[in-house]
Amino acid sequence: MFERERVAFYLASRSLRRGSRTSLLLNVAILALVFTNMILLPSIISGSVELFNQQSIDFQTSDIQVRPLEGDQYIGRTAALLETVNRVPGVRRGSARYGIGATILARNRSVSVPVTAIDPRNEVEVTKIHEHMQDGEFLSGGERGEVLIGQFVAGNEDTRKDLFASLGGVRVGERIEIAFANGVTRPYVVKGVYETRSYITDYSALITWDELESLLGTEVDQSTEVLVKADRGADVDEVKTALFEAGVQEEVKTWREAITTTVEESIKTFDVIISISTFVSLVIAVVVIFIVITIKAMNQRRQIAILKAIGIHPSTIIRSYLIQVFAICTLGTLLGLVMVGLLGAWFTANPLVFPDGVVVPQFESTALVENTVWLFAASMAAGFVPAWRITRENIISAMRAG
Amino acid sequence: MIRVEGLRKSYRMGEVEVRALDGVTLEVREGEFIGVTGPSGSGKSTLLHLIGLLDEPSGGSISIQGIDALALLDDERTRFRLTRIGYIFQDYALVPDLTALENVVLPALELGVSERQGISRATDLLGRVGLAERVDHLPAELSGGEQQRIAIARALVNSPALLLADEPTANLDSQASTMVLELFASINRELGQTVLMVSHEEIHRQYFGREIRLRDGRVATDGIASG
Repeated sequence: MFERERVAFYLASRSLRRGSRTSLLLNVAILALVFTNMILLPSIISGSVELFNQQSIDFQTSDIQVRPLEGDQYIGRTAALLETVNRVPGVRRGSARYGIGATILARNRSVSVPVTAIDPRNEVEVTKIHEHMQDGEFLSGGERGEVLIGQFVAGNEDTRKDLFASLGGVRVGERIEIAFANGVTRPYVVKGVYETRSYITDYSALITWDELESLLGTEVDQSTEVLVKADRGADVDEVKTALFEAGVQEEVKTWREAITTTVEESIKTFDVIISISTFVSLVIAVVVIFIVITIKAMNQRRQIAILKAIGIHPSTIIRSYLIQVFAICTLGTLLGLVMVGLLGAWFTANPLVFPDGVVVPQFESTALVENTVWLFAASMAAGFVPAWRITRENIISAMRAG
Repeated sequence: MIRVEGLRKSYRMGEVEVRALDGVTLEVREGEFIGVTGPSGSGKSTLLHLIGLLDEPSGGSISIQGIDALALLDDERTRFRLTRIGYIFQDYALVPDLTALENVVLPALELGVSERQGISRATDLLGRVGLAERVDHLPAELSGGEQQRIAIARALVNSPALLLADEPTANLDSQASTMVLELFASINRELGQTVLMVSHEEIHRQYFGREIRLRDGRVATDGIASG
C-alpha cells in the first residue's frame, strides 16, 4: 500500500533537492506573488466594506434603526417609544431623529440637503458625529438658532475642489439661512462643521429638537427614525428581538439589515471584481505550473522513458511530478503568507487613504483558505496534464527523441 | 525460457516501409549468455526492445517463462519488466538526480521492498560490481565505466529472470569495456543469470556462450560463439 506514493516521493524529493535551486526559487516566488495577489485585492475590498459598515453604525444607523411602518411618514408617540426602548435589556440609549428637507443659502449659493433634528444628549450616545468635528463645537441641549453642517455642505472657497454643490467655504460663526420644506425660512449661525468622511452624513445638517419645535411652532412627539445603541458586547439581533418583545411595533432593523439594500449592489460589484482578479491570478498560476512542468517533463522525456523501461509505473512518475508541484505550491503559499503578513503589518501602520475614509485591508481566514485550495487545485491540474501526456509516449520514441 | 516465433517489426519512413525484423524465430534457455550480433541495421536493438517489452511488434509471438508477453496489458507489461527483466542501455540511462545507491534501490522500492532491505541489497550489488566506495556519488561524478556498472547493479536488483544489454560497452574505452564484459560473464557464470547482449564488436564473441547473428532482420546464424 502506498508503494507508488513512496517511490514518487523518493524521486520527487531528490529531484527538488538536487535540481536547479534558481529554477525552484523562481517558481516558488511566482506562486507566492500569485497567492499574494489573490489575497490582497479581496482584503482591500473587505477593508472598504468594513469601513462602510463602521461608518454606517457610527454616523447613520447606530446598532439598530427603528423606522415608521410602511405607509407611515412618522413614528408617533416618540417620547413613550424612547422610554420603552431605554428600558429594554441590552439597550444603552435610544435617540429620536426628525428629518426635514431644506435648502441652505449662504454666500449667494444654495444647496438642498436633509436637515435632521436631534436631541444632542441622546445623539452623542448613539452616533459618533460629535467626535468628528472639523471645526467648532457639537450642539448641546436647548440651543436655538444654531446649526451644524457637514464638510461637503460647507465646501471650499475654491469650489472646483468640491465633490458636490456647496456653500463655497462657509466657516464656523458665519450666518446662513435655511428654507425648510414647510415654507419657513430662518437665519442660523454655523456652530460647527463635521467631517465624518461618510458622503451621506457629510452632506447634511443638524439642528436641535428645541429648534425643530420652534420651527414647527408646537411640541413635537413624532420622529422619522429612532436610533438605538446596544450595550457593548450585546448581540444586536437579540436586542432587536427584545425590542419587539417590549412592545415596539415599528419597523426595527439591525444596522446590517438597514444597509443591506444600499450595500448589496456594491458588494455584488466587488464580488465580480474579486472573481475576475482571482481568475486571472489562477490563470497565471496554471500557466506558470503548466510551463514549468511541461519544460521539466520535456527535458526529462528520455529519463521518463528509462524509468518506464526499468519497470517504474507511469502513475508513479506522474505522482512524482505532482509531489513536486505540491511542494512548490506549499513553499509558494508559505512565502505568500509571509508576504501577506508583512503587507498587513505595513498597511496597519500606513493605512490606505481613500476620499471616504481610511481603509485597512482585512485578511479573512476564509479567503486565505479558499484561495489556497484554488491555487493548489489549479496547480495540480496544470502539473498533471503535461506529466500525463509525456508518460503516455512510446518508450522507444521518447528515448530516441530525448 | 524465451521463445520467439516469426517476430516481425516494420515501420514507415515516409512512403517506404522498413522491415527491421522479418520473421525472427529463436529460443533462449535459462542460464545462457547469448550475444546478438550483426551489422548496423540488422535489427539487433529492435529484437532486444521487443523481447524487453519496450516496443510492440508488427507480428509474431514472444513467450517468456511460459507467459505470452504480447498478451499482457500495459500495467502487466510494466510489472513484468520490473520483476522479470533487467535492462542495460548503451548510454547507462541512470537518473541524474539520484546517487549510485539510489539508482540501484529505485526498482526494488517500486517492487515494494522496504527501504532498509533495498539499500542492503543495492549495497551488496554495488560492492559486487566494484563500486562500494562510490555509492553516494551522483552519475555526473562517475566515469562511463562506473556508470555502466551501476546500471548493471540496477538491472540485477530485483533478481530478474533475464538480463538484456543493448551494446553496453559502446561508449566505453577498451579497459572499461573489458571490465564490464568480465562482469557480465561472472554474473552469468556465478549466478546462472540468463544474459542476452547486443554487440557489434568481434572481440566480445569470446565472452558469449552462444551467438545469434542477424542480417536484414533475419537470423543468419545461431550457434556456439567462436571467440
